[in-house]
Amino acid sequence: MTLFARPAFLLHCRRIFSGMVLFALGLGALSLAGCDLAAEFETSCTFCHRGLEHASPAHTDCADCHGGNPRAWDKRLAHRNMHGKKNPSDPQVWEKTCGRCHPDQLARVKSTLMTTNTGMIHNIQLTWEGEDGRQYGAKSLQTFDAAGEPLELAGVKDLDHLSGELYRKFCALCHVGLESNRVWAGSHASGCAACHFPYNDNATYQGGDATVQQQWPYSETHRMASLPDNRVCLRCHNRSGRIALAYQGLNDGNNGLVPTMGGEPGPVMLGGVRNAVHIAADIHFDKGMDCIDCHTSRDLMGDGYSYRNMYHQVEIACEDCHGTPDELPHTARIDRENAEPLRESRNYAVPLEYGAEMVLTARGRMYSNVVRDEGKFWVIGKRSGKRHESKVITGTAEHDIPGHKRLECYSCHSRAVPQCFGCHTEYDQSGRMTDFIKGYETPGAFSESEDYRALYPFPLALNQRGRISPVTPGCQTFVTVRDQRGELLQEEYVARFKGRNQLRFAPFYSHNTGAKAVGCGECHSNPAFLGFGQSVLTNGEIEATLLCEKSAEKPLDGFITMSEGKTRAFSAITREESRPLNGAEVQRVLAVNLCLICHANPQDPIYAQELDYGRLER
Amino acid sequence: MAVNGQIQVFWLAVVLLLLMVGPVRAAESGVNQQLPVRGAHAGLACADCHSGENQGGQISVCIDCHADQQGVLHEAMAHRRSEQAFAAAAFDKYDPQFFEKNCSSCHVIGCSDCHSGGAHATARPSREDCHRCHRGYFVGADYWGLAPREDSQRYQRGIDVDGEKYLKMRPDVHAEAGLDCGDCHSMASLAAGSPGKGCRDCHQPDSRIIEHRIAAHLERLECYACHAAWGAQEYGSFFLRVADNPMGDIFQVRREPGSEYLRSAYLKRQDAPPLGWNAAGRVSPIRPQFIAYYSDLRVGSKLENVLAAAQWKAYVPHTIRRGTVACDACHDDPRRFLLEAAERRIYLPDKDGMTLPSFWDSEGQTLSNGRFFTPEEFARLSRRSPEYVRSYIEKWKNLVKHVDTSSER
Repeated sequence: MTLFARPAFLLHCRRIFSGMVLFALGLGALSLAGCDLAAEFETSCTFCHRGLEHASPAHTDCADCHGGNPRAWDKRLAHRNMHGKKNPSDPQVWEKTCGRCHPDQLARVKSTLMTTNTGMIHNIQLTWEGEDGRQYGAKSLQTFDAAGEPLELAGVKDLDHLSGELYRKFCALCHVGLESNRVWAGSHASGCAACHFPYNDNATYQGGDATVQQQWPYSETHRMASLPDNRVCLRCHNRSGRIALAYQGLNDGNNGLVPTMGGEPGPVMLGGVRNAVHIAADIHFDKGMDCIDCHTSRDLMGDGYSYRNMYHQVEIACEDCHGTPDELPHTARIDRENAEPLRESRNYAVPLEYGAEMVLTARGRMYSNVVRDEGKFWVIGKRSGKRHESKVITGTAEHDIPGHKRLECYSCHSRAVPQCFGCHTEYDQSGRMTDFIKGYETPGAFSESEDYRALYPFPLALNQRGRISPVTPGCQTFVTVRDQRGELLQEEYVARFKGRNQLRFAPFYSHNTGAKAVGCGECHSNPAFLGFGQSVLTNGEIEATLLCEKSAEKPLDGFITMSEGKTRAFSAITREESRPLNGAEVQRVLAVNLCLICHANPQDPIYAQELDYGRLER
Repeated sequence: MAVNGQIQVFWLAVVLLLLMVGPVRAAESGVNQQLPVRGAHAGLACADCHSGENQGGQISVCIDCHADQQGVLHEAMAHRRSEQAFAAAAFDKYDPQFFEKNCSSCHVIGCSDCHSGGAHATARPSREDCHRCHRGYFVGADYWGLAPREDSQRYQRGIDVDGEKYLKMRPDVHAEAGLDCGDCHSMASLAAGSPGKGCRDCHQPDSRIIEHRIAAHLERLECYACHAAWGAQEYGSFFLRVADNPMGDIFQVRREPGSEYLRSAYLKRQDAPPLGWNAAGRVSPIRPQFIAYYSDLRVGSKLENVLAAAQWKAYVPHTIRRGTVACDACHDDPRRFLLEAAERRIYLPDKDGMTLPSFWDSEGQTLSNGRFFTPEEFARLSRRSPEYVRSYIEKWKNLVKHVDTSSER
């Protein structure tokens, strides 16, 4: 068994061992006499771990996963040669445990971003001047890149640069290779169990096995979550983009720890002495959908190839279920008995049937829970079995505006976009901090302070698809370095990115989708949506009012200025091919106000063709 | 206030000492050379102030000559009646000493509270003198481009003035031009309890500006309804009475030494503030002052997150700029008039036990010196009358044509 017994209980076990052995001998004699009572004979595992829940109906033999010796009646001997101590899915041993029966899944998970963290590491390298031409993963790994070519990931422990150290000390706990057990609401096991044997907020066992009751750190129960719920995703996705918070209507805005809850900081506490308050949730959450109802197993566990960034691996898009102005969602019928959705949906509340018409992801692969049925499109809750009709936008005038062809759906349909402005990171060489990859403390400690957070309005810029998307600081990092004597080596340094010293915003889908879109006039008339930050206007001038400490003109909450009519972007948009809107685009966006004042309805026929921006001049 | 109180005691001691020594002997022994008199009093003889008749302490000494200005010692900065009334109404039932415990550090007792140079270097109060009280959330800091930061230590960084950390904001155009507080708020105005110079004492609306040609704007709007570029706003001011409960340390907020209370805000903003009607019946910026919550976190107590007040105030942000927000930021934005539609809510304070469904919904809130907009009034101002459309188009045409389309980045 995985779960160590408490000493007091063990003593109790030992005392009755002798009696048990005699009893067992007796059973042996009976079986020789033709009784099949031996089948009822229990192992030492189940004898001590009485009440422990089975992982699943298919996973009932303790030793199959855990190894050890179920016939030994001494705790030490019984636990000898167990796989991965309490967690047989730990990456140290997962080849001989989970991987024995699930080799395909293991091969995928080994290369998935949540294991390799290649995106996080690469982006930190890019933004901390740490790029050295090599590709790193949380561990060294021989794998294949997106094109199927062999790829060698170097282990990030060998990234001998501040960027590597930042990842190892600040970010490394959030990957499925490592257990995290000291973070309130942020603890998880390592390996497959990170998602499939969820921890509760406090990482203590609450199941039926008295030997581990209330003990830390353990999964909440020994029941396998073949379909992880939203809390599992929240364990990691509660920082940085915070999508698991925003999705379910939570915002950690200012560490204010109010309103209190039961006389203690509240209302919802997160690791790192942070609190979250309730905000309007994502419409999909309100309808009862889980994270995994949109995200396919390939989004999460990977598809066997190693992608450089999250947006290369994730295969889904809003349009998959909601269609485009011109095209309905794409579908294909299940016409093979071993089709992936049939296998995957076996554990769903409603398994699929051969012949079902499946909706396809942006990559053209089948969802395992989105179907077309009698002309309508349905998302079926994997855990709940609930059918959600997906509203399709095809043929709707308000979605068929030529000027909006480049917009991501969530540019208009985001309710709130968490934005953290000004991240001031200090690296103090006189301090020490745990390097989670190396597993011990090393010299050098990071600490952070911050300027301000906001949810609305939010700026837009071009993303890696050449489409207009919300962006959020990613990051506005100012680096201060102190040597061992406390002397300043660098103060509030802005790193070089894309060739110049500049701050950065990153394209971002906040997962706080609203059925009601941001109003036309609201977006077109407020320059904050274009990246100017909060501001006041005069002819040719947009004056930011919340300023960067390093400048008398530049907004803290934006990335463009306008002076004497000239727009100038002073921050980068991180992804390849991404950029802020240029002067001509800014002018076009603002010129639409001349139309909107009389034609406020987005279904107005004037928006069905390219706008004639100069019409009122003639 | 505490620091000024000490300074005042110091000066009182100096005066008393000099009185004991006697002005004549002081002059003879050359004390006046060790205490050179600078500033406004440079031309005075020692005995003008240090005569035997002036036994009543520093204030009476000053007032002997400046009787016409003693009003300042009886006006709002000294009695702070409205703050006391607010504290009493909101908190008396929970803690009758609330005002003394939380609000008493800022009030004027004597001349040297503002004239910090003292009697021997009397000068107009400097911006630092004003800032000692007009700090943080209170009007004055905003003039210099300072907005309060979130309370948690994580956000307490950046510009430091008098031990308080600020966000860097666009300063008032008058501050940029070199004007100090006293240039508008003269001694005479303070003594008379008047707000000092108004905008129109120096400026007349220029009718070449589109917005200035709109009669309703000139009749009904304060200039600063449009020209205040931003305003510090605090939504949900929590007064946490932790006393000696060690749990108070978890909050990681600044705490005045010996104070029973911690303060932590639910949300701070510093964008264009909401609008309402002020006491003069004109449209003015308004802000929470305060949406206050009381939580008694002393061991054994059970009272928490009680909405003690949901009070707004029409006020004058000292953040004047030539530019303004666009027409749409008022005419089309119900949130700005505390008329946010339920489906537009982002924050849901009532879901966390904070009583109010939205800060931007006037229902259940009060405006201490004016009133909120009604839905009908908002509908009227958002109506697209031909005049509005004409002006709107002219305004945006101007803005659009000034954008240089050649700038690539």
